[in-house]
Amino acid sequence: MWNRSLQIFATLPILLIAAGCVDVQSALNPAGGEAERIHTLSWILIIFCSVVFLGVAIATMIALFGSHRWRQRLAGERLVIGAGLIFPAAALSALLGYSVMIMGMAGSAEGQDGLRISVVGERWWWRVIYTARDGRRIESANELRVPIDQPVHVELTSADVIHSFWVPKLAGKLDMIPGRTNTLTLNVRGPGISRGQCAEYCGGAHALMSFFVIAMPPADFEAWLVRESQPAAVPADEAEIQGHALFVRSGCGACHTVRGTNASGTIAPDLTHVGNRHSLAAATLPNNAEAFARWISDNQHIKPENMMPPYEIYTERELAQLSAYLESLR
Amino acid sequence: MWAKLALNRLIVSLAVLLTLVAAAGAAFIWSGLYNVAASRDHFSVTTWILEKVLEQSVATQSAFIETPPLDDPDLVRLGAAHYEGGCVPCHSRPGEPINVIVSQMLPSPPHLADVAAGQPPEELYWIVKHGLKYTGMPAWPAPIRDDEVWALTAFLMELAGGEMDNYRQLAGLDRVPSGALAGTEPTHQTEAVTLTQCIRCHDDAAVSTISTLVPQLGGQSIEYLERALKEYAARVRPSGIMQPVATHLDDREIAKFADYYASLDVQPGQHVIDPARIARGRALATEGDPKNAIPRCLACHSRSRAAEFPALAGQHADYLAGQLRVWQSGGRNRTAYGQIMASIARRLTDEQMLDVAAYFASLPPEAYRNDAASASPGSE
Repeated sequence: MWNRSLQIFATLPILLIAAGCVDVQSALNPAGGEAERIHTLSWILIIFCSVVFLGVAIATMIALFGSHRWRQRLAGERLVIGAGLIFPAAALSALLGYSVMIMGMAGSAEGQDGLRISVVGERWWWRVIYTARDGRRIESANELRVPIDQPVHVELTSADVIHSFWVPKLAGKLDMIPGRTNTLTLNVRGPGISRGQCAEYCGGAHALMSFFVIAMPPADFEAWLVRESQPAAVPADEAEIQGHALFVRSGCGACHTVRGTNASGTIAPDLTHVGNRHSLAAATLPNNAEAFARWISDNQHIKPENMMPPYEIYTERELAQLSAYLESLR
Repeated sequence: MWAKLALNRLIVSLAVLLTLVAAAGAAFIWSGLYNVAASRDHFSVTTWILEKVLEQSVATQSAFIETPPLDDPDLVRLGAAHYEGGCVPCHSRPGEPINVIVSQMLPSPPHLADVAAGQPPEELYWIVKHGLKYTGMPAWPAPIRDDEVWALTAFLMELAGGEMDNYRQLAGLDRVPSGALAGTEPTHQTEAVTLTQCIRCHDDAAVSTISTLVPQLGGQSIEYLERALKEYAARVRPSGIMQPVATHLDDREIAKFADYYASLDVQPGQHVIDPARIARGRALATEGDPKNAIPRCLACHSRSRAAEFPALAGQHADYLAGQLRVWQSGGRNRTAYGQIMASIARRLTDEQMLDVAAYFASLPPEAYRNDAASASPGSE
């Protein structure tokens, strides 16, 4: 009996360590300003609580097994007032003040020189909109690119129900509420990739509504943004041309936009540069031709209840052509 | 002591008695003495029990069914047209005697005018949908198509209303060229015969369909027409009306019909006089309703798109709205193409279905080839 309990307790720290190993989505491995502050605060709270717990445990042991003299001391009025009233009031006030201060320390509003980034929660994906300095609107999906070592303000809202934007490595979670814009400041240290997830239950495919944040040196980011603002690549080889024709004939453009073509739908993710993204279907699948084919024909099994109809109408060849075209959209 | 002995004796006697009864029953069954001949009527007590059980069962099973409005003449005509193909072989046309062979069944199929007269519509609906055990009355081949079962119920209610002197016109018998084998003959014969079967309900070069609930086929693509017939035949597109027809067609015949209807001009569709509805439908067809994840209809339903997608211009509004309802109730999501539409149809409100059906019905049939297709922003 005791052995069992001990075993369970012994596995707890291992679990924590294992969670920390998942490098792209761990609050224990912070890579951004707010996440670092949350990380510090967590450790302070954990240590503080452990010390208090230990003190209470010792007091309890004394009360149960201590000599008469020690128990007399424990029952004294001074200890009750000191450790029971003054200490908790002072310690908790101090901690509250500290946490309010530390969480309020968002980066300054400077430093973003006109670029606006907003993320709209949709069922069940993320619409990402960059508004460039010259007012150009560049839409992407399920992937957020940010420059490193500067505060980046991300405007969060929702198109339908309440979602929540949470990238544990970079910041705390912030709700996306329809009709309201919340602003989250990311300040990423060093280039790298972090995974985020919807942290507010939003219906059917909530568990598969994830995304990646890719942090890049400012110069790279600028270059990427210029590429991203270009219209889609023109299909080059025979498979891609056939794939594009299928894309048009099947009415894909009713929901998806591919800038530079007639596909101008706004219901579903913008596919202009989908071939460049880190993942497909809101971080559900890797980004490769095979995944495109699987997604088109079998998406309701891969991500049940998602809004795209399954297209089981294609032959293997047609699926390969469509996938080749979509992959060429880099 | 004495009491216990008496009880034991009673139990033993009962056991012996039961064994004897069971043995006698088994002997009776295996002897084959019971006469199952349809040529001999049941004992009157058996008839009484069977009829009572049937009557009570139908009343109880149909107790919670709600009857939709059934006085729509198009619903009655659809029901009549199917009655001619599906029910006449046993129940005969109104006013005509029951087929001599069929009348020798036990029970023999009744004249439905007599049955329907005494029966509330929900009981008729229940019988048509589920059939009746041990009577020869089959269940509806596509139980998910309640809309079709109600059409037949609507016709039966009309039949119950008294003398029916317009049956030939209701069932489309007057649409079939005189001299052609019409009505009860199987479709699996010469092409002339099979086509007369189609045009009894569907459009041809001269007339529109028999009911606004029957789709116009003229001007559809060969690919779509073939696909539809093959889906009916494979029973993945449920319909108690079309499945029995399509099952008899071979690939060559299917190709013939597809050719015929693809080359046919579309008759003008059902006229809907409600400009506001048509305008709302146009907005949905050309722009969709992105807020509710509804793409514009013309993205797929226009001539520049895959030929497997049906053309909707000039189609009857009642048929279009009816099919959208079938989609919503899950009746058309078993085919690859049907699944695409299923997820979109589920998002439409009742009003949107009527709006968009009215819009497509209001279009001149040739609209797709030029105007509507080029008016939509995504077409090429």
